[in-house]
Formats: sequence, C-alpha cells, structure tokens
Amino acid sequence: MSVGDRLTSLPDRVADDTAVGTGLTLLAAALAAALVVPLGWLFVDVLGLGGRAIDLATSATTLAVLARSVALVAVVTAGSVLVGVPLAVLTVQADIPFKRFWTVLAALPLAVPSYLGAFAVVSATGQDGVLVNALRPLGVETIPTIDGFTGAALVLTVYTYPYVFLTTRASLLSLDASLVEAARTLNSGRWEAFRRVTLPQILPGVAAGALLVALYTLSDFGTPNIMHVEVFTQFIYARYTGFMRDYAALLSLQLLAVTAVILAVESRIGADDSGAYASSGNRGALSIRLGRLRYPLLLLPLLVGATAILLPVVVFALWLTSGGPGYAGGSMAFSWTYGWNSLYVAFLAAVASVLVALPIALRSAASDSRLAALADRAPYAGYAAPGIVLAIALVSFSLDAAPAFYKTLPLLVFAYVVRFVPQAIGSMRTSALQVDRTLVEAARTLGRSRFGAFRSVTLPLIAPGIVTGAALVFLTTMKELPATLILRPLGFDTLVTYIWRVEEAGLYGRAALPALVLVVVSGLSMAVILAQEDTGDGDTNE
Amino acid sequence: MRDSRRTRRRVLQTAAAGSLAGLAGCQGLIGGNSDDESVTIPELATFRGSGAIIEGRPAPGGTSIEDLPDLSGELNLYIGGGEGGIYYRFVEMLQEIYPDFTVYESSAASSSLAQNIVEEVESGAPQADVFWSIDASSLGYVADNDAYDPLGDTVVEPVPSGFQGDDNAWVGVAGRARSVPYNTDQLDESDVPATVREFPTTASFPNTVGWAPTYGAFKSFVTAMRLLRGPDPTRDWLVAMRENGAQRFPDEFVVSQRVADGTIPVGFANHYYALRVKNQRPDAPLDLAFTSGDAGALVNVAGALKIQGTQKSDLVDLFVRHLLSAEAQEFFATVSFAYPMIPGVEPVGDLPTIDELSPPDIDLSALSNLEETLEIMREAGVPG
Repeated sequence: MSVGDRLTSLPDRVADDTAVGTGLTLLAAALAAALVVPLGWLFVDVLGLGGRAIDLATSATTLAVLARSVALVAVVTAGSVLVGVPLAVLTVQADIPFKRFWTVLAALPLAVPSYLGAFAVVSATGQDGVLVNALRPLGVETIPTIDGFTGAALVLTVYTYPYVFLTTRASLLSLDASLVEAARTLNSGRWEAFRRVTLPQILPGVAAGALLVALYTLSDFGTPNIMHVEVFTQFIYARYTGFMRDYAALLSLQLLAVTAVILAVESRIGADDSGAYASSGNRGALSIRLGRLRYPLLLLPLLVGATAILLPVVVFALWLTSGGPGYAGGSMAFSWTYGWNSLYVAFLAAVASVLVALPIALRSAASDSRLAALADRAPYAGYAAPGIVLAIALVSFSLDAAPAFYKTLPLLVFAYVVRFVPQAIGSMRTSALQVDRTLVEAARTLGRSRFGAFRSVTLPLIAPGIVTGAALVFLTTMKELPATLILRPLGFDTLVTYIWRVEEAGLYGRAALPALVLVVVSGLSMAVILAQEDTGDGDTNE
Repeated sequence: MRDSRRTRRRVLQTAAAGSLAGLAGCQGLIGGNSDDESVTIPELATFRGSGAIIEGRPAPGGTSIEDLPDLSGELNLYIGGGEGGIYYRFVEMLQEIYPDFTVYESSAASSSLAQNIVEEVESGAPQADVFWSIDASSLGYVADNDAYDPLGDTVVEPVPSGFQGDDNAWVGVAGRARSVPYNTDQLDESDVPATVREFPTTASFPNTVGWAPTYGAFKSFVTAMRLLRGPDPTRDWLVAMRENGAQRFPDEFVVSQRVADGTIPVGFANHYYALRVKNQRPDAPLDLAFTSGDAGALVNVAGALKIQGTQKSDLVDLFVRHLLSAEAQEFFATVSFAYPMIPGVEPVGDLPTIDELSPPDIDLSALSNLEETLEIMREAGVPG
C-alpha cells in the first residue's frame, strides 16, 4: 500500500477507455473528493483567528511541541525498522522451527491498541505497579515508572513495528531468489548480496511500513496522553477542549503539513506495487542457515511478544480477578452493548470501505489516466489526517453544511471510511493488479456479459484482497479512539470510548474486561489478514 | 436511534398544538402523579456509598425524591467526563426507579461539550436537553454565549446564590474544594501555611510538595490565582514552587496516595481524593488542610444547565430537582465525596461545611479563560 506510488503510469493493461471506464474513473474521483473535502473546513475555522494565526503558528510553544512530535516520529520509526526488518528476515528466510508461530507472534502486537499497551505499562511500572507487586517477594522494591517521551517511544515502537514487519515480509516473500543466488555465484559475500540485491528490492516495502509507523505515531492521541508527553495531537486536544477551537484547527493544519512532508519523503524512497499485506507470490525464498545462533535470535520475537501481548493481558486479567484499583461504590458498569456497538460500526465501516474502495482500486489498477491515479492517491489525505483532526473538521463541516448528519451513525461511519479506506484500496489494488486480463477477455469471448465476467473471473481473484482490506478496516475501526470520542451519537458507547471514560474517571479495573474483549476481537481480525496472506502466496516455506 | 427521536420530537411538536395538555399528561410533565404504583423509591441506604468514613451519618435533610413528581419521558443528556462517571451512576438509578424515564447520554470533557452546545445551538442543531458539567467554567461558557434557557425558580431555590449562574442559567449540584492533603505523621495542621503564597518559602517541607499540573482542577486553581493576583505574581509563584522542588504527579489521586504513603508530606489536590484514600485505608496518616481566601481555597462546582431550544423544559427542571433531592445529595456526598449543595446534607468525614470554607471572591465562570493560564504555566517551566 505504498502511498508514494510514483505518478509514472502502470503498464497499460487495458486498451479500451470506453464510456464505462470513464464513468468508473469519474465515480472514483467523486468518491475520493467526498473523502477529502471536509478537511478543507479546517480553513474556514482558522479564518476566525485572523492575523493572530501566524503568531500562534510560529510561537515558541508551538514550535517546541512540533519538534517533540517530529522527534517522537523519528525515534519510533527508526525503532520499528530496527525491530521489524530483522524479524521479517528471520521469519521468511531463516531456518527457524515453528515459523508460522513466530510470524503470528511477531504480527500480533498490531492487534493491541497502543493506548491499551500504554495503559498497561504505566499501571505495571512505578511504585505501586502490578509488576513491582508481583516481583516484591523476589526482593524487587521499585521499578521506575515508564512514562514521558521514553515511555511513549517504547510503547509506540512495540505496537507499530508490525507494520514494518508485515510490509517487509511481503517484499521478502516476493523476492526473486535467483537474483541473490546470482550475486552469490558472482562471489559476493552473504552481507554483500543482501546489501546489493536484497536490500534494494525490499526497501520500498520497508519504506511503506515505516510510513505507516510514522503516520500512526504522528496521529496517535491515546498513547502520548496516557504517557503525559505533550505532542501535537495532545496539544490540539487540550486546545480543542480548552475553549480555543480555532487555535485547534490551526494546529490541525500544521499537523497536516507535517504529514505531507512525511509523505513526500516516503515517495522519494520508492514505489511498491506489492502492497502492504498481500504479497504477490513467492518465487523461492532463499534460506539462511543460522546454526546454533537461531535459538538466541528467537529471543527477539519472544521478548517483543511478551512485552506487547503478555503484559497487557496479565495486567487486565489481574484487574478482572481482583477488582482492580478504583474505589468502593464506583459506577459505570460494563455493558455488552458497547461490544456490539463496536462490532456494528466496525462492520459498517468495513462494508462501506469496500464499496468505496472497489471502483477506485479497479480503476487504478486498470487505467493509467491521471485522474485515476489522483483518485487512488487523494484518499490518503484522510488516512494521513489524525483522527482528532478529522473529527474537528467533521464537527465544523457537519454543523455548517449538514446539521442533520451531525453526530449520527452515518457521519461516524463516514469518518471511518475517510480514515481507513486507503487500507482497503491498497490491498484490493494489489489483488486487482494480479488479475490476468486475458482471462477476463476469454470470458467475454465466451459470451459472458461485462458484469458476468467480473463476477465469475475478476471477483474470485480479487476476493482475498477484499477480505484483507475489509479486515484491516474492521480492525482499525475497532481500535479507533479520538474520532469515535468526538463524533459518536448520543448514548452510543463503544469498547474504546467506554475504556476511555473509565480511565478518565480513575476506575481502571473497569477497563479490564472491554480491553480483553478488544484484544481478542482484534486478534481474530489479524488472523483473517494473515490467513489471506497464506492463500495469496501459497506459502511454501513452512 | 436518534432519527426516530427526531421524528418523535417533530410529531410531538405538531401534535402539541392540538392536545398539549393530554400529551404532557402522558409524558408525565405535569406533576402530582407520584402516587403511580409502578414507582417505588428505594430506601436511603441504596443511595449511600460504603466504607469506614460513611458509617453513622445522620439522615439527610431537604426534599426527598418521594415528594417530587415522577420522571417520565426521554431526556438527552450531555455529561462531563471524569468525575461525571460517578454522577452518571445516579442517572442510572433514576432510570431504575422510573421505568418510563430514559436518558440518552453523551460523555466528553465538560469544556468540549460546552463548546459543542454553543456551536450546535448556533447551527440550530442542538443535540441535548440538559448539560451536566463537572465544572463551573463550562457552565459559564454556555451561559455567556446565550445557549441556555433559564431553569425554574423552584429548581435553583435550595442552592446558595454563590453556586448559581445569573438569570438561573445554571445551578450547582455538587462541589469540590481545593485542599492541602498532608501526612499527619510528618506534619501538624499548624505546619501547613494558611495561604498558598507561603508555600515556596515554608521551611518545613522543601523539595516535597506534590502537585499535578496537567490536571484540570490544577489549571483552574492557577487561573483563579491569575485572576486574583495577576499574571506576574502567578508566574513567580510557579517558578518558586518549581525551584523549591515541587514533585510532579500524573493526577491528584496519586498525589493524595503519596502523601498517605509518606513519600511526600504535603500536596495540592481536590478534597475528595484524600477521602477516597481514607475510605480504602482508614488508618492512613492523612488529613486535609484548607487555605484561606485565596486560589488555594477555590470551590468549584458541578452543575446543570438547560440547553436553549429544548422541547422538554419541564422535564429538565424536574430532572434537576431530582439532582438536588436529599437522596441525590447524599449520594454525591458519600459516593463521590463531593460537597453537597443543599443545607441539611452534611459533607462526609470531618470536613468543614461549605459555609465554613473561605473561598476567594471570584466569578467561577471566568475560569474558562485558560489560554493565558497555559501560557504562564509554560513560561514558568510547569507545562500543564
């Protein structure tokens, strides 16, 4: 799902640019535009500031927060590459036992929302932490509280490196091993071959993953908030809630500008048509023989997995059994309605995203027109826009332009589609690129209608892409916090908004059950995604 | 769900012209039907919290729920986050008592909801009928922007005028006082200065005052200081505190716990956090001191406001009267350890009563102006 696909045209897969094709292009462009327009409303809000806008935008405070955000993005991105790439190499190319297990373990942290991880880490460490209490019999008296910049960097790295892991893995799986063998035959050492042949081939994959990590870090709201580190999203939220909404809109625009810079940097690294999650076939992954080294190396996935999965699960399970911190007479009992609400909106968002993504993805794969390319790329503005920014824009937009939609379920689902549809476009386009046009033409020749050919040939071939895309949107919607918080209809609570409310009220113990439910459901969607990877590439390296 | 309610609202509006009285009767908006047999008011104990410091309280005075007309109909409620979670429990209890009463709530930061209300009213798309904010500044913001309808005189009547908005714009339902939790093993009450001004220079506890600058109540406290003493003395005070080694904690519950642990001898926190600690650990060497007449003695309130344009004005009034009933006030006092707002209900523990505190003379609505406060805190190296 490279965002930075160059404008260089894809191979011309279809000669006909018939009326249907043009119609599809226009539809795709219209959908893309609808996704982007609400963000423009931020400018309307900022107008209220007048001349103060420039002073505020360049104030020492703003710049300091900006610098801190950029630093956090840099540290987390670098950390994710350092963890994700070796893990990908290890699980694809090395001769380790139980490959499937390690692959799932390494990908699983993606299923845990990072703010839940942050929540668990903060609760586990420090003077009264769960960890200290557990280790006290062993003579451990205190563990420093892990929070602030270091804490946020650590937690974000642990929960976002799977993006790099998965995209790198996809690139490695589609790597042409014969090239590496050729290099080795030509007397290059193993490292030399990796550097000269493998690296350039997987770099776009690494970059695509790093981009996702960078965007996630920049837009994450919950983790910095829980870790008490003032980054841009938190700064915006404080102004949004602190009677300074136009200032918040101004800061949102600045955050979007930073996002644009990140996108530009990534686009210089390179395009990757293989997509983030679906790989495009395995032409013989070569094997690295590690010998004795393979067991110590397994400590890496083990350590990361234990931190990312085991720690929160243990913390929440302890709370569940012991009642957890809080105080007597506390309220806000958990209701399964929150779970159903989460599943319901996530399902709606997934279906809506597939419907929106399908024309865009098909058109983008089949046409090299500039409009189709633009329609393919424009939705990334929504993806790159942090949830809080999008929510602020949509509140303004709906109140000014469509009050009837304000705080309704359709608006919330719309927000999710804007935020997450690129994930569906990315995985669906990857599948669509692999559809052999001659098969479709054969079906047409044999008398199938255009739609019939689509249904009997194209659809089954792109089905794994659709399922992966839907599962990704489902997963990210389940975890989404800030936009849900701001845009949800009256009386509509989901797992994450409930967790947020009890956390704010200091009733941490109440977060245990919904957090565990969220982790399990997310884990299941991850399983769906990984299963598609299997059917997609006919994984032979087990 | 909301669409059906909107339709319902429209139907009600249309029908109201023809049969206003009949409809209002069905909705239970006209009082006097509290003899309805389907409604049983639970005994007082149901409304009380539990724990060491709650035991042996006298029965509360004031108007009992039994003496109020029944609630029925649907109400859209905006309720502030955080402490609002505890208050919402009472709303849940009301819905259990009155089978015909349903509340649709939305919870977010009070200040965020306040701004939503103003924007929604301006756009002609108000969502809620009533706003239950956990702080006065948010109520003041809505009032200042004329997005309210006045509450009935009988609604606000039991509450002291200092905890009401002008023109019956809002009424306080629960109070919280700034306080100084201190460790009784390490300090006597007389060691705690009578004003916050003296804190940085008090010799008995250098390097050891705990505070939570990111916490909303702390920012309100600094705002109060700024309004009372001006920006420069406020900045100087923050700097002096910081240089004297004030220790930063994530929230005021933690500050109160650390004081009870003896990690720090003294801190700044809202009063109810110490009571929570005491309720869990009755033997903790923890007590509360109050400063006098300055920002350190600020009393802020959670309160209710009727949102402009609501079709359910009478139901909102009746709902707020329930929040000011003896049972509700006992609930707020014993479950969230808030200051009751009506005479006749005592605060828990050995807290001074609300008229024994000496809060500064300040318009609580003015606390909404945070921008300058945040800037001062940042300049002082104490980012909020």
